[in-house]
Amino acid sequence: MNPLHYVEIPLERLAIAAVLIAVAVWLSRWNRLSLEKDLLWGALRGAVQLILIGHVLLLLFAHQTPGWVALALGVMVLVAGYTSSRRVEHGPPWRRLFPFALVSLGAGAAVALIPVFLWVVPLEPWFNARYTIPIGGMMLSNAMNVVALVFERIFAAAAASSDEIEQMLALGATPKQALDRHTRASVRAAMIPTINGLLTVGLVALPGMMTGQLISGTAPEQAVRYQIVIMYQLVAVAAVAGVVAVAFARRLLFTARAQLSLPVTPKA
Amino acid sequence: MIEARDLRVVRAGRAILDGASLRVGAGETVAIEGASGSGKSTLVRAMATLIEPDAGQVLLGGVEAHAIPPSRFRTRVAYLPQQPAMFPGTVADNVAFGPQARGTALTEAEVAALLAQAELSSDYAAREARTLSGGERQRVALARALANAPEVLLLDEPTAALDPQTGLQIVALVRSLAKDGRAIVMVTHLPAHAEALSGGRYVCEAGRVRPR
Repeated sequence: MNPLHYVEIPLERLAIAAVLIAVAVWLSRWNRLSLEKDLLWGALRGAVQLILIGHVLLLLFAHQTPGWVALALGVMVLVAGYTSSRRVEHGPPWRRLFPFALVSLGAGAAVALIPVFLWVVPLEPWFNARYTIPIGGMMLSNAMNVVALVFERIFAAAAASSDEIEQMLALGATPKQALDRHTRASVRAAMIPTINGLLTVGLVALPGMMTGQLISGTAPEQAVRYQIVIMYQLVAVAAVAGVVAVAFARRLLFTARAQLSLPVTPKA
Repeated sequence: MIEARDLRVVRAGRAILDGASLRVGAGETVAIEGASGSGKSTLVRAMATLIEPDAGQVLLGGVEAHAIPPSRFRTRVAYLPQQPAMFPGTVADNVAFGPQARGTALTEAEVAALLAQAELSSDYAAREARTLSGGERQRVALARALANAPEVLLLDEPTAALDPQTGLQIVALVRSLAKDGRAIVMVTHLPAHAEALSGGRYVCEAGRVRPR
């Protein structure tokens, strides 16, 4: 077999892979886990989403213009922003959080992507969708998880420790000082998965991007270099998005007169 | 010294304070009694600038609270809730919190002196604050508040969570803190404790304050 050729998957053989879902469904039924519906729906929805995105990418690669690439990235940012701002327990309703989530994600992604595409992986043309879309997607997805974790944690901590925070304010602490312990804990917690990823990369699993490049025939040393860049980008994304998100959360938790104002989430 | 002028606080459509006014001069001690829900806690919280009144003003030394930066106002006006939260760390960490927030460290001797004012021995300094009893916590909270050298002390039911004996000891301690020219406002639902404070007595009722 030519090493620069990968094994193609025709549709009939893709269908064989669906047997794996059947195994899980059968196990679920046998053990009365009641997951059959979720499994089938998830499998179907995941496949449809991916097939659709495959076609979108095909179109995008064929008609590459800055506008289309920007539109695709824009949709990704919106979905990531929505996902990280909804269902934040003890937090404000998602409409209020959404703009802040967008800015946090955007800041993280910008810091991670712009310098890399300028100096590390210079693109030709500069908006080359083969790079900007998948790498942008990885960054946004990490930023999305970090922002969601930060929001989830900081609003819950503020609600649980409101007495302590208010007592600190009453002693003359600034909102920043009064929330400090919880801010740090939130950002740290949100960054742990990314840091764990750094520590175990290659030992437990080969990352998806590297796996993809290896399968499609990229030289291993180049695939490894790409992966290193991606990892470092993921760290920057997590740090920037986390710190920006927590700063916004703090703004939402205090009034201009330095009073704690816990957001009341209307129960759906 | 401190004055609440026509405070109005509306929450969920209900006026919790409805034109509450109170004036306390330097060295004066005032007890505010009232049934639960009468608005007495809201009054001291508003006077501590921890909640924003919908109308009315809080004045400190004749100056509108809004004209004073919140951190500055709150070092001059101390507020203690019914069950003050202890911060992580030792009693000394807790007592030093206020000055620390402004970038000033307290010496061991200063911490001991503050503890002494709250009638706690210096042995307490090294103890884990969160392991203390209710009465001890009140005293640590007082020492912690005094570390800011406040001109006004606002206390919200400092004795409500304590047994009667400990409660009266805390009242006596609070009374003694007025002698340096400090203005003291203590909210309580216990007439005996209001009596023991032996200062001015007011009643909060339907969101207003009237002399008893």
